[in-house]
Amino acid sequence: MNVATRALWNPIVAKEYRTRMRTWRSPLAITIYIVLLGGIGWAVFSALIVTSTGFGQGPGSLGQMLFTFLILFQVALLAFITPALTAGAISGERERQTLDLLFVTPIAPFSIIWGKLLASLSFVVLLLVISVPIFSLVFLFGGIELDQVVSAFLVTGVTAMTLGFIGVAFSTVLRRTLAATVASYGAAFVLLAGTLLYGALFPTEVDSNVTTQPAPPAITLVSPVIPLLTIATNLPVSGYGVRIKNVNPGGPAILNSSGTPQYCAPAPTGGVMCTSQSSSSSSFFAQNSATAIPTGLFTGWQYWQASVVMQLMISLVALLFSALMLPPVRRFRLLRRRAPAAPPA
Amino acid sequence: MIAVEELTKVYGNRAALDRVSFEVPAREIFGFVGPNGAGKTTTLRILAALLEPTGGKAFIDGSDVTKDREKVHTRIGYMPDFFGVYDQLTVGEYLDFYAACYRQPKQRRSKIVDDLLALVGMTERKNQQVDSLSRGLKQRVCLARALVHDPAVLLLDEPASGLDPRARVELREILRELQGMGKTIIISSHILPELTELCSMIGIIDNGRMRATGPVREVIARLTSGRRLHIKVLEDKEAALEILTPLPSVRHVESVNGTIEAEYDGDERTASDILLALTQAGIRVSSFAPVDGGLEDAFLKATSEEVG
Repeated sequence: MNVATRALWNPIVAKEYRTRMRTWRSPLAITIYIVLLGGIGWAVFSALIVTSTGFGQGPGSLGQMLFTFLILFQVALLAFITPALTAGAISGERERQTLDLLFVTPIAPFSIIWGKLLASLSFVVLLLVISVPIFSLVFLFGGIELDQVVSAFLVTGVTAMTLGFIGVAFSTVLRRTLAATVASYGAAFVLLAGTLLYGALFPTEVDSNVTTQPAPPAITLVSPVIPLLTIATNLPVSGYGVRIKNVNPGGPAILNSSGTPQYCAPAPTGGVMCTSQSSSSSSFFAQNSATAIPTGLFTGWQYWQASVVMQLMISLVALLFSALMLPPVRRFRLLRRRAPAAPPA
Repeated sequence: MIAVEELTKVYGNRAALDRVSFEVPAREIFGFVGPNGAGKTTTLRILAALLEPTGGKAFIDGSDVTKDREKVHTRIGYMPDFFGVYDQLTVGEYLDFYAACYRQPKQRRSKIVDDLLALVGMTERKNQQVDSLSRGLKQRVCLARALVHDPAVLLLDEPASGLDPRARVELREILRELQGMGKTIIISSHILPELTELCSMIGIIDNGRMRATGPVREVIARLTSGRRLHIKVLEDKEAALEILTPLPSVRHVESVNGTIEAEYDGDERTASDILLALTQAGIRVSSFAPVDGGLEDAFLKATSEEVG
């Protein structure tokens, strides 16, 4: 066995596959997953059929809507499933008192973590694969290209992976599975919703005289929600994560950043349109039509690319942290140990 | 084979191990005895390279357990004082998993598993779920697990605890067989007589300190220097007591339920002198028996010092 094979396939993976698929929990989880995803697909589909009648919307936009709902719901489902899969990875071994037995084998602590992750993430991949038939319904309506589906699944997979890595990290540090599970769900919430909340509370502030629409704060892209929306709709998200300073749409004139009063009105395209008295020229920005990030750290990237990169970085940190914290006798110490006290007489 | 030098482990301000030293030559069975919390498990975990000592050194087959962990792991088979079993795995799969963890090649693993199951007498249980086994059988599976990589040294932490007498006898036979296969074994217990038959060497630990260590006979002789006699006389017990009490070799005499119990210092010759003194005084002795079961008392004595 060469090094690569050994890294990818170790006894832990084989054992995890066996024990995982022998319980009733796995088929149950798969069934619930498919039923919920199929159910939401059917519900959205019926609702859209009813509301779109007579509005002259093409089947393409219907397919787009259906896809948007499905992909967001899928991420939410995986955010519930992945922590449950991984939070017991190491703490479960500890509670079953089998961790020491692994530590006395020549298996490296990193391989233990990797084996656990691989086994959990394969289950996530299985869930993604069996959801493909449901997603294929979207193609009946059109409006979604294959590359959109692929990148959306990539973002979803990376999100599940990140949550998995975080779950294992908590499982390594916290002694009990229950504590690790709670912490993992907390982390999943922060990752998916907390970052979005941050964007809503602390948006990017720009002057009204900029000509391109700015992007929300980069941190909000850690959450897969905005990237998935941009993939599904092929449009940048507007009205979120951006605040324009010195404007008072539709109201009296206020001073802009250069000290001249200006009148502003909401632009029909989604931005604002402002007229400055001194220059008497209107400075406005319209909604960007491209899905690339217009400003900030990731200028020019696609939203989903930025999200994937940031999540991979979080995963890497979680993985290294787990590998560092797991060994019973650590090679590197975060803090130097104090000199041992003299034994009592 | 195993050398422990001045091993010390401090938790907070409590010393779990205080300069423990002992040596076990190859092919010996070393009995590690002490009350609960004496430091047996701590010592074994350090030897298994699962715990770092605060001070001192330990070597397995010349490899330092704190520096050469991987080499130590291939040399030792460690059986902790708990089972550690997975659900949803059969006995055969369980052993195969650990054999794979020890990087035994796939082609050889099924033979290893079959051989080990034969050794611990569980061949017919190969397809049973591990977590459904009884305590005694789990114990055997765990012993088999510790052997999957054919280690030279076995560290067994309380392997006999919770076993019924028959299972203990069977375990003892398996350990004898392993000794015959050339393995060096450390086996811990809190019951001394359990080990005296099986072990060639013994170490008594209490409160983190080694009280006595060496070949079993030597240690026992040292501990049981005060010997005991049970004497029965036909009549006139008072007269017998009066003769025994002033004898210089006799430390203590008392009458319990019609039997005279005498503690004395010395060997068998001293015992016969005591008998002679009684018969010369005309006391009719019906029974004169040295008491052998002083071992447990001696152990308690050795481990209760400094308790107050």
